[in-house]
Amino acid sequence: MAHATQPTRLRMGLPISNAKLGMWLFLGTEIMFFTAFIGTYIVLRMGSPGWPTSPDVTHIRIWAGALNTFVLLTSSYFVVVAHESMHSNNFAKARKFLWMTFACACLFLGIKGYEYYGKISHDILPGRIPESSQQAMEKVVRELEAVVSARSDALLGDPTVKEPLVTLRDEAGKPDVDETRKNQISAVLALSEQTAKLKDDVITEAAELEGVEHQLAEMKLNEQYGSLVQGVREPHPILYGNLFASVYFLLTGFHAIHVIVGMILFALMLKLGNKLSARQCDFVENAGLYWHFVDLVWIFLFPLIYIV
Amino acid sequence: MTDGHSHVNYLLIYGALCVLTIVSALADIIHLSSWVLLVAIVFSVATAKALAVMTYFMHLKFEGRWKYVLLAPTTILAAGLPLALLPDIGVHYYTVQVPQQGILIHDAHAHSPGGKHAAGGGHDADHSEEGGSADQGEHGHAAGH
Repeated sequence: MAHATQPTRLRMGLPISNAKLGMWLFLGTEIMFFTAFIGTYIVLRMGSPGWPTSPDVTHIRIWAGALNTFVLLTSSYFVVVAHESMHSNNFAKARKFLWMTFACACLFLGIKGYEYYGKISHDILPGRIPESSQQAMEKVVRELEAVVSARSDALLGDPTVKEPLVTLRDEAGKPDVDETRKNQISAVLALSEQTAKLKDDVITEAAELEGVEHQLAEMKLNEQYGSLVQGVREPHPILYGNLFASVYFLLTGFHAIHVIVGMILFALMLKLGNKLSARQCDFVENAGLYWHFVDLVWIFLFPLIYIV
Repeated sequence: MTDGHSHVNYLLIYGALCVLTIVSALADIIHLSSWVLLVAIVFSVATAKALAVMTYFMHLKFEGRWKYVLLAPTTILAAGLPLALLPDIGVHYYTVQVPQQGILIHDAHAHSPGGKHAAGGGHDADHSEEGGSADQGEHGHAAGH
């Protein structure tokens, strides 16, 4: 260590470098930061009987979480080896292991991105999840209405038209319209009619969840407009789904931001290339401390989010 | 000072961490009969892993006593927030209105068309979607626990 070479100098304060003390103080604040979120999650979950846990509902894949745990543990090990190599002045080896750590971080974010994609494609997003049967059916109607409006706008090519469906109906009545366009227009008109019928049932509470599910499945098979509504999602109410999604994205999102910051720290060292030397020893040690903390947070997030 | 820990077999620690991860994944996969047992296992494992990382990877084993001065207050403060929230939100010492749950349990309950009511008294403001589904607040049954 740099300061160990000057044993005679009087040194005030703690027997560690200022940089390391700074990093530990920062990690102290980080402990409070993450405990606040993790603790809030535990408290909210305790207070919400019926919290969604089934993987079919939450689209949480334990294998992805376990794999990411391995990836982070491995990267933690690589950082330790890199730091050790820095101490023994083997900078080529240190660089190699820093690269491997960086690669692990990329892999972690890749798996995380895959998981986020699964959530987004099932619309498991805060504020977008129906929590009761009624909300789920209303959501189907909203999605169908969005399809009708997007399709009629596309057919008209002018989103400023006030009554697009009326305009389209008038157009279809004209004798000089070609057959393909006529079919397209009658498809959107038929879909709009069916949607209005479904909406009536839903808002008057005459509809049942299974009935709407069945009707939607039939609409998807319809020869005329079936292809338009393939993207409309089945009604799946998830009790506390929005709270779950908020907590999930908050916890894993902040963790992912920390991973990205760690990657920046490693990138700063990797950018030096062959110039990596004993001067960067403290930096690598502190970046390593930070990285182990990121690993530490994940060690708790894994059982909390993926298992329990 | 920090050079005294070069004898640590980091590969061994890493191996132990991997084995512990497999233990918690297996505890989930074999579907234990008791949820409490599962929680006990996975959190014991997580704590063991965290301690191993802190002790060896973060070199706390080889640091001076300053580590206690620095980490004890933060840990106590960190525990403060969850403990403060627990009685109010986690345990509910009063009857709480949970709109979504009331509706799922009493689904046949009369329910007005969307958009007429503002989201009233909702459990959490960001639950309600715009318009149509924001009308549960007034209709939700008080769901006691």
